[in-house]
Amino acid sequence: PAEPEWPHEGGFHILEHLSEPTHRNLEPVGPHYLAHARRKRHHRTFSEDDRI
Amino acid sequence: MSDSEEPQQKTVIGIAFGNSNSSIAFTSLDGKAEVIANEEGDRQIPSVLSYVGDEEYHGAQAKSQLIRNPKNTIAYFRDFLGKSFADIDPTNAHSSAHPIQHETGVAFSVEEKTDAEPSTLTVSEVTTRHIKRLQESAADFLGKPIDGCVITVPTDFSEAQRKLLSEASKASGLEVLQIIHEPVASLLAYTAREETSHPVDKTVLVLDIGGTRTDAAVIASRGGMFTLLATQHDYELGGRQFDDALVDHFSKEFIKKHKTDPRENERSLAKLKLECEATKKTLSLSTSAQISIESLAGGFDFHSTVNRLRFDLLSKKLVDQIVGLVESVVNKAGMDLTDINEVILAGGTSHTPKIASRIQQLFPSNTAVQAPATNPNALNPSELSARGAAIQASLIAEFEAEDIEQSTHPAVTVTPHLPKPIGVAIHSPEGDEGKAEDKVYVFLDAETAVPARRTATFVGTQVGGDVLIRIVEAKRESVDVTPPKEVKEKTNGTDEDDDDDEEEEEERVIKRVTEVEKVIAEALLKDVKKGQKVEVMLNVAGDLTLTITARVIGGKGGIRGTVPGRAQ
Repeated sequence: PAEPEWPHEGGFHILEHLSEPTHRNLEPVGPHYLAHARRKRHHRTFSEDDRI
Repeated sequence: MSDSEEPQQKTVIGIAFGNSNSSIAFTSLDGKAEVIANEEGDRQIPSVLSYVGDEEYHGAQAKSQLIRNPKNTIAYFRDFLGKSFADIDPTNAHSSAHPIQHETGVAFSVEEKTDAEPSTLTVSEVTTRHIKRLQESAADFLGKPIDGCVITVPTDFSEAQRKLLSEASKASGLEVLQIIHEPVASLLAYTAREETSHPVDKTVLVLDIGGTRTDAAVIASRGGMFTLLATQHDYELGGRQFDDALVDHFSKEFIKKHKTDPRENERSLAKLKLECEATKKTLSLSTSAQISIESLAGGFDFHSTVNRLRFDLLSKKLVDQIVGLVESVVNKAGMDLTDINEVILAGGTSHTPKIASRIQQLFPSNTAVQAPATNPNALNPSELSARGAAIQASLIAEFEAEDIEQSTHPAVTVTPHLPKPIGVAIHSPEGDEGKAEDKVYVFLDAETAVPARRTATFVGTQVGGDVLIRIVEAKRESVDVTPPKEVKEKTNGTDEDDDDDEEEEEERVIKRVTEVEKVIAEALLKDVKKGQKVEVMLNVAGDLTLTITARVIGGKGGIRGTVPGRAQ
């Protein structure tokens, strides 16, 4: 079987950026929102939050 | 002194405060929300207060006073809160105490005490008294005082209205922890039931058909977080219009027999309305219902029956109007009916089987319609808001007021959302039966709030070798995949097919497809053995920095790459 062509160095190659986000209001309701608000207020990432 | 011994558990409840009915709910120790019945055994407590002699009546007892004592009975007042007299629509209050102009907005004049001047009660005061009665019912049931509550309001409630509601509740001795939106509360009542730490991403339409109004909302549910995408309201569509359809039907029957129109006399009309509402409720549960009113008008009794089929015919126009509202709100969200994964029917009128079946017909068959008539496991539509409020109340019960305020502040709620779905396309290796097309697996759907992360596993390759993983922005489209005529003729090879041309309209098959719109990055995972599983994790940070981690399950190493956000 033919291998996919890979002319780039390393295993990762960037072509584009993500599209501009839209700013919307989250509904401040439910356990997942409260976890999100906690992370945002303490400036934590997911993995930091997982460890706590 | 005994601080350490005192259990700090707070008693909190959820209140659904409606124009027509209100309900109260609490969350039991095992985390299940339950709706509380008041002393009269009602879980749907009419939002009505009535004054007879020196007594204040509330709920169903007050509602029955609409016949004998309409002038001193206050009903349908919630939407008057925080409005100026000029802005209100008093139609619903015609058969009870009329709203009057007051310096604070709207008020009612009722005889609260025998042999005394009528007193003027502002809408805020009426709300305070109503909440006080609800609170007392909850405290009696739970056997302890209530420390706080979460109240639900429609999405179009203004800041001023929310503030007044908070104050009115506080005046009744009940602290409002948070005011939340009705459709969101209904959605929470369902998602809390799923009991999973990774809720499914879906787009939900909440249709709340109440007594005096109908509200529709499209909500993106992503990772258990909710974003309102569009809302629409109809203030002249609700259970009352369904009642009126029955009122007109029975009035005509009564006129035929007795030559008197019961709608012309206030008291007869009030009697008929009350009974028609009960008949309508019966028709939601059984296929025929009786109505029987003593001395309806002109001294004549009235007995009759109606079946569900007739009621469906009488209310067809109203159901069409509901369908119109649904189409319009989905359109407003910039979506298609096929984008909606689930429909939640809320509000008392949602018990009507015909409404649920029409909604089910409107959507593709894989769209779940949560209503008693279409899903035996559906929750009671009347209880959704109160349950959702109770769940939210239990979640924030232990929070300090300051914490709640900070967490609900726009600085926290306003969040970037992805405009396009982000996923992964794994290139099928050549030689794989010619299936060269890329399949996009969507990790993060459009309208997902960031930061967010998702993980999925794939079978890397069918034949062994390197695996190319492309991280893409995708687009979802509805494509007409109706088999074209020519193909049919070719396969059949006969001329008879020409006769079928006119049926073509009916046979249209719409399919949802996900296509690559823009490739963001590529990653190459080397030397993956045949059939090995590959785990891919995508993480999008708050600044739109995208990180991908891919590894062979059980293998060593793997690759990790980062696409910086635009701002950097």
